[in-house]
Amino acid sequence: MTRENGRAEPARIFLRPPSVLAVLTALATITSPVAAHHVGSYVPRDNAVTTNFKQVKFSVQAKKYDVALQLFDAGALRAEMRAHAAALPPGLEDGTRAALTAGDGPEVERRLMIFFAALSRDLALEADRQIARPEATAEVRAATGRKFLEAIWRYYNLVDFAVATRDNKTSVAVRLAFDEAETYVKPAAGGAAPPDPAGIREPLQRIAQALSTLIDASSPSSTTPRRNS
Amino acid sequence: MTEADSPTWRVPPRWVLLVAVLSIVAAEVGGGSMARFKVELTRWARDGMLARPGVHGLVGVRDVDERILDEALVKFDAGLRLFHMHAEGMGLVIIATAMVAATVIRHDAARRAIIALLTTGGAGYPLGYLLWSALIPSYGLERSKAIAEWLVWVPFGTATIVALWCLVGMVALRMIKS
Repeated sequence: MTRENGRAEPARIFLRPPSVLAVLTALATITSPVAAHHVGSYVPRDNAVTTNFKQVKFSVQAKKYDVALQLFDAGALRAEMRAHAAALPPGLEDGTRAALTAGDGPEVERRLMIFFAALSRDLALEADRQIARPEATAEVRAATGRKFLEAIWRYYNLVDFAVATRDNKTSVAVRLAFDEAETYVKPAAGGAAPPDPAGIREPLQRIAQALSTLIDASSPSSTTPRRNS
Repeated sequence: MTEADSPTWRVPPRWVLLVAVLSIVAAEVGGGSMARFKVELTRWARDGMLARPGVHGLVGVRDVDERILDEALVKFDAGLRLFHMHAEGMGLVIIATAMVAATVIRHDAARRAIIALLTTGGAGYPLGYLLWSALIPSYGLERSKAIAEWLVWVPFGTATIVALWCLVGMVALRMIKS
């Protein structure tokens, strides 16, 4: 058989209607539906500080203090301690290093707990400051609150167990304040802005206060500088 | 056995094949470019986001902002990957479905319309992912997604789905008649 242009028709494969229908059904199924196009998903990852914390923590738990010391010396944890030195109890970095050198696991855990409590407290204070801005709209306040709460929890969650074993009341107070804070920034029905996102300030202040008290009580020196909370 | 009793696969029009192959070529070039220019692309997207802190809701605190930037960069990369995969896949879908339409549909106007919808829809839909990625640094995740949806995914995706269901109907009708 030839085409209209006189060229030979390519080889043909015999076809039965039921097989065509099956192929078409399969193709219709695999084609992405318009309303549900796939855009990927995001799972929050550890940052350099939390990654280094976990490395050090697991090394200490395995009693590999030499490994933990190497990871601490070269990692983001120590760099971050130096960067935040002004807001931390004096000697926190040196003390952590000394505890690692001495193979004192509980002391390492206590000092890291103080460090992450301080990071969380500073984030709570900064969140309170930004949400208090008079020019911020309800949407901006809610969005800012949600982002800060996520960052606070990412750090505090790492040491909550250590906090609870030393000061259960503070642990409970922080978690209750955190839960309350979330209710103020949760989107209302239909995705609208929550009615009173500024209400998050009070639980944020409670978080900062509880963590400041914990840091002061856990620090070896009574001259530890306290943040205005 | 006559031709009417034993239909055979017919090659779709050449412009359809050209579009389908171009889609696959674009997918391969896109995939290769993603690997070759990964650092440059990431840097470009990050710089674009940092230049528009308000669009992305950056608050000026590294511990908060790095998570926002990370999510946007992951989605930026996902958009490029999804373009690569969809352009590859839809190129093959265009060839297969256009071949079925060319073979089964006897009515000229219907056949041309369905093949045109399959081809434009199939080739256009993956471009939505490329557009989404390109717009993320300037418009943020949600707004760029909305733009890509209404400019590309909805019209081209609808074209493909409508054409496929029409094709299913045509094949079913032919089965009933025969």
